[in-house]
Amino acid sequence: MKSPLRTPIAVLALAAFAAAPAFAATKYGKGVSEATPVKLSELMARPDDYVGKVVKVEGLITEVCAKRGCWINVAGDKEFQTIRIKVEDGVIVFPMTDKGKKVVAEGTFKKMELTKEQAIAKAKHECEEKGTKFDPASVTGPSTVYQIQGTGAVVE
Amino acid sequence: MNWRKLNNVLHRDLGYLAAGLTLVYAISGVALNHRHQWNPSWKLDVEARSFAPIPVSDRDTMTAALVESLALPGPPKSSFRSAPHLVELFYEGWSVKADATAGTATVERPRGRFALREMNFLHLNEPKGIWTWAADVYAVILGFLAISGLFVLKGRNGLSGRGKWLAGLGVVLPLLALFFLLWRPGDSGPRGEGEGEGRGGGRPRGEARPEAGARG
Repeated sequence: MKSPLRTPIAVLALAAFAAAPAFAATKYGKGVSEATPVKLSELMARPDDYVGKVVKVEGLITEVCAKRGCWINVAGDKEFQTIRIKVEDGVIVFPMTDKGKKVVAEGTFKKMELTKEQAIAKAKHECEEKGTKFDPASVTGPSTVYQIQGTGAVVE
Repeated sequence: MNWRKLNNVLHRDLGYLAAGLTLVYAISGVALNHRHQWNPSWKLDVEARSFAPIPVSDRDTMTAALVESLALPGPPKSSFRSAPHLVELFYEGWSVKADATAGTATVERPRGRFALREMNFLHLNEPKGIWTWAADVYAVILGFLAISGLFVLKGRNGLSGRGKWLAGLGVVLPLLALFFLLWRPGDSGPRGEGEGEGRGGGRPRGEARPEAGARG
């Protein structure tokens, strides 16, 4: 006897196949605009010129938040430089397998002045996320942190 | 068919339909509730390796030397240095972090947690698009199940009997939780109208401090 569920199951399977992500660039959040990307070296050389502005950067994902996928570190055109793209928890979730992939991301460039206590709390929190041991001596004083409050990204 | 019979038939069949996804959301919900303690979707396999230290030079030379020293399967897709002696090599789905001067390396392989990764993928609406609509339909069905469930039985065990007390408790408990979590003694006026720290409608208990924005 023909199962009454045969047709709905076939339709669902087709819909799932159609909705499956293609093996191409993955868009997160709002994606990115057509704006010209700012070089990371330029951003880091004159950060105060960009504070509060929407910037688009591109580079290599060197690290992904191991807990919630809520940030990525991106390396740009110069060695030893990275910037953090922080996104809203749950709105964008970067999978850990995005590490090492190319990304174009966009968001508002932010400056945060941290007291020594805040810098310690931040470093401690990051160590907890990575599962590494925290050494309070690694934070010697107040610090200034620049990051991008990301609204969208495209990962290749 | 009278309205109660129709209500019960719909409650039964939509209940069957929603059972699978309800379990997905329930299991994933518990996992996501504790995401400050663990990564509910991924786990990281870390393997420590050691090798004879290699001299600090340019990235390409160091990368080639590391591939050979660690017997890695060919050149990486990409690489990066966070400091002259710290090199990271990225392969498809895994990476190597090496300290060239200390001769130590860690091979990191993220793996999706069995079933949880997929459940969280749906729960967090990562696919967006058509899944947004599917989740909306599911939410409407859940809402219907909540209301129709109130009217399944009549009499002593129905809404007019013990049902009203249990349903009332279900409303009162979250309201009490909101009251105790959001309001402090001395609060006056709705939250957000007052200025300053602590009283007169300041930030609710437990809300992130300003510096938390600097964290992950």
